[in-house]
Amino acid sequence: MFEHPDLILPSRRSFLRQSGMGFGSLALASLLQGQATAAVNPLAPKPPEFPAKVKSIIWLFMTGAPSQVDTWDYKPELQKRDGQTLAGADPKTGFFTTSGKCLKSPFAWKQHGESGTWVSDLFPHLSKHVDKMCFLHSMHLKQNNHAPASIELMCGTNRPGLPSLGSWVTYGLGTENQDLPAFVVMHETRPRGDDQIWSAGFLPKTYQALTLDARRKETIDNLARDAKHDDAQQRAQLDLIRRLNQEHAAQRPTQTDLAARINSYELAYRMQMAAPEALDIAKETAATHQAYGLNQPECGTFGRQCLIARRLVERGVRYVQIFAGKGVGGDGSVNDVPWDCHTDVEKNHRSCGQYVDQPAAALLGDLAARGLLESTLVIWGGEFGRTSDSQGAKGRDHNPNGFTIWMAGAGVKGGFHFGATDEFGYKAVTNKVHVNDLHATLLHLLGLNHERLTYRFNGRDFRLTDVAGEVVHDILA
Amino acid sequence: MHAWLTLVAWLCSVSLVGAQTPSAAGHQFFEQKIRPVLVQHCYACHSEEAAAKKKLKGGLLLDSAAAMLTGGDSGPALVPGKPAESLIVQAMKFDGYEMPPTGKLSDAIVADFVKWVELGAPDPRQGKKPAVAKREIDLVAGRKFWSFQPLTNVTPPTHAKIPASAGPIDRFVLAKQLEHGLRTNVRTSKEKLIRRAYFDLIGLPPTPEQVQAFVDDESSDAFAKVVDELLASEHYGERWARHWLDAARYAESGGYEFDGFRPGAYHYRDWVIRALNADLPYDEFVRMQLAGDKLQPNSYDGAAAVGFLVAGPYPGQITAKTVEGIRYDQLDDMIMTIGGSMLGLTMGCVRCHDHKYDPIPQQDYYGIAASLGKTVHGARSYDRDPEATRAAQEKHRLEHEKFVAAVKQFAATELPKRFAAWQKTELPKQPDAPRWQTFAAVEADAERSFLKLLPAGVIAHDGSVTPGTTLRRRRGAGQVPSAEVYKIQVRTHQKNIAALRLDAFTDKSLPQRGPGLNNDGSFQLLELTVTAAPLDPAAKEKPVVLKLKGVFAGAEDKDQPIAHAVDGKPETAWVVKTTAKKDNAAVFEIDGGLPGFASGTQLTFELRFRDQGLGRFRLAMSVEPNPATWAGDFVAQHLGELRAILAANKNQLPPTLHEAAVAWFSPFDAEAGKVYGAMQTHAAAAPRGNLTEVYTTIAGGQDVFLLRRGEVANKAGKAEPGVLQVLSRGNANVTTAKVSTATSITKTPSEPVDPRVSLGEWMTDVDYGAGPLLARVIVNRMWQHHFGEGLVGTPNDFGAQGDAPSHPELLEWLAGELVREGWRLKPLHRRLLLSEVYQQSDQVDPANAKIDPSNRWLWHHKPQRLEAEMIRDALLAVGGTLDSKMYGPSVLDDSPRRSIYLRVKRSELIPLMTMFDAPEPTQSIGERISTTVPTQSLVLMNSPFVRLQAEKLAQRIRTSGDPSLAGAVDRAYQIAFARSPSNGERSQMLAFVKQQQAALGADTPANADKALVEFCHVLLCLNEFMYVD
Repeated sequence: MFEHPDLILPSRRSFLRQSGMGFGSLALASLLQGQATAAVNPLAPKPPEFPAKVKSIIWLFMTGAPSQVDTWDYKPELQKRDGQTLAGADPKTGFFTTSGKCLKSPFAWKQHGESGTWVSDLFPHLSKHVDKMCFLHSMHLKQNNHAPASIELMCGTNRPGLPSLGSWVTYGLGTENQDLPAFVVMHETRPRGDDQIWSAGFLPKTYQALTLDARRKETIDNLARDAKHDDAQQRAQLDLIRRLNQEHAAQRPTQTDLAARINSYELAYRMQMAAPEALDIAKETAATHQAYGLNQPECGTFGRQCLIARRLVERGVRYVQIFAGKGVGGDGSVNDVPWDCHTDVEKNHRSCGQYVDQPAAALLGDLAARGLLESTLVIWGGEFGRTSDSQGAKGRDHNPNGFTIWMAGAGVKGGFHFGATDEFGYKAVTNKVHVNDLHATLLHLLGLNHERLTYRFNGRDFRLTDVAGEVVHDILA
Repeated sequence: MHAWLTLVAWLCSVSLVGAQTPSAAGHQFFEQKIRPVLVQHCYACHSEEAAAKKKLKGGLLLDSAAAMLTGGDSGPALVPGKPAESLIVQAMKFDGYEMPPTGKLSDAIVADFVKWVELGAPDPRQGKKPAVAKREIDLVAGRKFWSFQPLTNVTPPTHAKIPASAGPIDRFVLAKQLEHGLRTNVRTSKEKLIRRAYFDLIGLPPTPEQVQAFVDDESSDAFAKVVDELLASEHYGERWARHWLDAARYAESGGYEFDGFRPGAYHYRDWVIRALNADLPYDEFVRMQLAGDKLQPNSYDGAAAVGFLVAGPYPGQITAKTVEGIRYDQLDDMIMTIGGSMLGLTMGCVRCHDHKYDPIPQQDYYGIAASLGKTVHGARSYDRDPEATRAAQEKHRLEHEKFVAAVKQFAATELPKRFAAWQKTELPKQPDAPRWQTFAAVEADAERSFLKLLPAGVIAHDGSVTPGTTLRRRRGAGQVPSAEVYKIQVRTHQKNIAALRLDAFTDKSLPQRGPGLNNDGSFQLLELTVTAAPLDPAAKEKPVVLKLKGVFAGAEDKDQPIAHAVDGKPETAWVVKTTAKKDNAAVFEIDGGLPGFASGTQLTFELRFRDQGLGRFRLAMSVEPNPATWAGDFVAQHLGELRAILAANKNQLPPTLHEAAVAWFSPFDAEAGKVYGAMQTHAAAAPRGNLTEVYTTIAGGQDVFLLRRGEVANKAGKAEPGVLQVLSRGNANVTTAKVSTATSITKTPSEPVDPRVSLGEWMTDVDYGAGPLLARVIVNRMWQHHFGEGLVGTPNDFGAQGDAPSHPELLEWLAGELVREGWRLKPLHRRLLLSEVYQQSDQVDPANAKIDPSNRWLWHHKPQRLEAEMIRDALLAVGGTLDSKMYGPSVLDDSPRRSIYLRVKRSELIPLMTMFDAPEPTQSIGERISTTVPTQSLVLMNSPFVRLQAEKLAQRIRTSGDPSLAGAVDRAYQIAFARSPSNGERSQMLAFVKQQQAALGADTPANADKALVEFCHVLLCLNEFMYVD
């Protein structure tokens, strides 16, 4: 194709720029290993730095922030002292004003599995999978409002404009399946904070998420060919485009991105077929539909998203994030932050729990049955926790000082509990895990050193973990 | 003091551990209780070992006695004898710091540390002082870095092999090429050159006619003419504003929680376009953006220009808990943007510590922060043309005299006979007045709002003005306050008025249906004052302020009742909350009644509100006793007035009152109604001025403190306004701790100068301030946008971590040239474009490529992919559908306007723009990344937008010029690529069209058209379309 093969050399900086690479040492290393591939396609799979336990991540994001003490962090002391003063209650914790009086969990608690994990009765389905789950009970972060905390949780700090976990992972590892996007976000009502939560920030747009809106039945813009012309017509067009583009490129031998662009038409053409196939849940059996609760109004949307998530990771998609939408319960919370139980934790969580319980459990079961859980990590959690004292009579305010998330699948211990909040579930006190630590651990599981995955922007090498983060080795399987 | 404490500690230690020697006892305590904890919980991040592993945190070592006393970034870790002042104890108590980060240690351990510090912190560990002692910034050495030096005079090089005709830019470039043994390239073709110049300067493709005219123009200055035309084109500003808006992180929303839209933010974008088109000198361009609001107070231009400062993200929900941190985030946003865009310096890291690579101490950062301390985000309204408003108001006033004259004329000629007839036949048939008579206001004026008169005496809100706005009104110009005051004037001839009444109405036009104008529909009436004066200005009676008593309210809070509105205390209010959500009314009894003046009475109602006023209201009176009820019907006051006049004048209408009677008579007589109505209608149309809301700076702000480690809880004294010392010269002060203001460097101000004005002066001062760097950074940006890459490859980083310039002398010469040209950019553009290096071919000489594969020495022109905005604009231009309307509120991408006008909402960026690498507008961006991803190809292949442009292009080529298919193909190439196809291309395309037509079936004109669309679609998908050679 090129007249002067020896001319395919990096121009001063533009080569790196065109291929979507910064000067991050890790990315540069992998770039040097597969220079030609990377020059054509920055999303080509890159070997991790060390053997990876996890290939794909599915994050079930509990938008609006569930209460730890009503879900996975059982606190008998809180149950006992309902209405009594919460020792150490800090009025700066929440977003509004709380009572300072303990509010016991309105749910019934039972132990499950061989691990004897306490789970509230919100999760009759998920509780069957507790022995797969690795609980981080001591999560904490800084921000106490939804969008800033969601940004902190996904991007490492609360300042907008930084890349999110999914973009960093895609940047570091590329993707296995070139016919599908590497990073997919699914939502119903857009979560508060919108694009900022899954931003590619200053990273090249190559690493940005594809968003699938459940309200539009996961339609991908521009994916469908214009109804006016058929495949043969388009193929003829594409063949002509390729021929003329090749002629054009041959006259500009130092311009490596022209080759990438020629290739991208072929990728687009393949994606045109691969993506609808990946999203086509009609191909799944009736039993699968039933398992995910697809026909139930209270969880059907989330069920469809979970099922699509499984189909995507099955096809090599690197990172999927689903923002849980709103249950049908109707409890005064707002659509873009469904779990936000300021007024009535019982009514709210009952409805939100129903929305996610069966589909999430089906996802775990399905992934396990297909052997995919050996390479996939499922994460369940929201942007912060809730206060152990009440807001109003029956609600809970925001609480970034202690909350639980769990992970299940590749690389982590099952039925394992790490870290703890105090006896009221109010503040993380032992083995605290900050967002940066969580990110360091996730990158580690993916075979990446969080201190070496860097990108140079405006004169500084940025990291997902900013200047902090320790891998939580204790939870690794 | 210290010695005394040590003695006390020594005594304590003696008593504590009995007979052992003090140091031995203390050391034993340390070994048993302290060292194990330090080793287990602290050393991982605070020891020499951690430092060796690059794990050291906060610059703090805890593994030797000396290191603990020296401390880290936040100061000494302990003060022997003083646990309360010892950071290590505070941190362990989770007071301010929270250490260790994994969780609080037990109370017993914390108590041990308290005791240990009380003991004087006995510590046997030897160890030296921390090796990682804080790096002291050496400003004298720092000033020697290439980019921080003063501008030097550079002479373009001469060389036997450089032609005498070569211009200065080419001399610099050729000298480097000669030095490296590179061959000079040829000029590019005229077709390629004009396409390059069009995209570079105005961001649009040339039309085939423009290309042809240039090709046909054989004069030596043909290209100069094209460049001059383009620089004179208004599209130039639209193209180059986009570059600057990237650097200015321009967006129209706040980001964060609710990403609140800022309807007035686009004025900054428009200001940048206008400034560039007017070739506003760059130094002035910079000064205006830093302090336009101070340099041109109360001007639209000044307010729009400082949109630069406030374009950053800003949380939508702020509480007392978060406000201070957010304030410093906001300052940081401004400083980072100023640093990156104007100075090419990375400043963000200096918030927490001295710059690690550049000579910028934290104190300089906080000096700039203090200069920006009084800069607060907000919206204000501006009259964009106050002179025009004043003239229009004067014109209106003159015109109004005609309407007044008509009323007078009617009063003198028509009224007497018409009234007499009506008085005789109609008046007796009129009903008696009910209890309440509504006033018809003569004047309704307000501080924050405009009021209009509706039928039936209702006074309605007709738009607000943002507080802080300077507004010209009838009573003169003034700043709009935040508290509303309504002044309503009414008149009456009736006597013995017993009570007044205020009705407040709900309406769907009001926030939460009202009745108040506050966001929640509430209002708080601080004070109602009613003054009565004789109507006849010559009358001797004095005006009186009525004594009112609130006797009834439709809704009132028992703590904030209606009585508060008439208690004479401006701090108490009658508060009507949102819960009311219905019409409301208040009745005020006049203490002793109002007898009324002989000539008639003028009543002035003054309603003072705490914030916003009422949306719809009405004033009424009662002449009946026992007014403490709000029941009863209403009628307009007119009939009552006529009857009162007649009663007082022996049943006659006296000539002195003819004119006044026109108003009262107008409802009952068509002619009176017409002439009086015409006057009222005209009065209501008084020009207000064209008020525009601008997102800009508003009053406010607080002192700024230097924050250790950037933490608001860790203040180290108030910061004074200052600048970067390393970029300041010629003044002894610059090496001292506090540079007061830049102005003090250049001149002694006679009055205090706003610190932002000083910042702007320092920034643009070539001799004493940052002017040299400012010039280097902007000429580098210009080079970058014309050549694809800057002479300095890191346009936002001219510091030690950035790239060194490839052609330092050329950069220096260009910077000097900019200053010599009075900082005007257009002459420099002209110089750049008329250079041979700009006009050279993109052809690659293999020999050159071997020597310099990266084209560092500029031996060929590098093709560039169009930026997102240009791709969309070019598609619209080629389709012939581009709407070239300029300026104004932003639009969504269904509009055919240029992409610079697309909405930039941070959480919902336009997908087509981000897909083609438009940056996140959160930080200053100097250079866009160009990515290639399949979704871009999907857009070109399948999007309805691209398809539509292909259809439009097909229409264009079908309906104009050569009607043959080959002619159409040629024309399409000329429109899309500014060139004709080669024979090979033409035949391939013709074959393709025929093949497509065959695939469509019948050989009909409709199918021929469709096949042509497919061909046009192919053209738009070609790389040639989105690359410029």
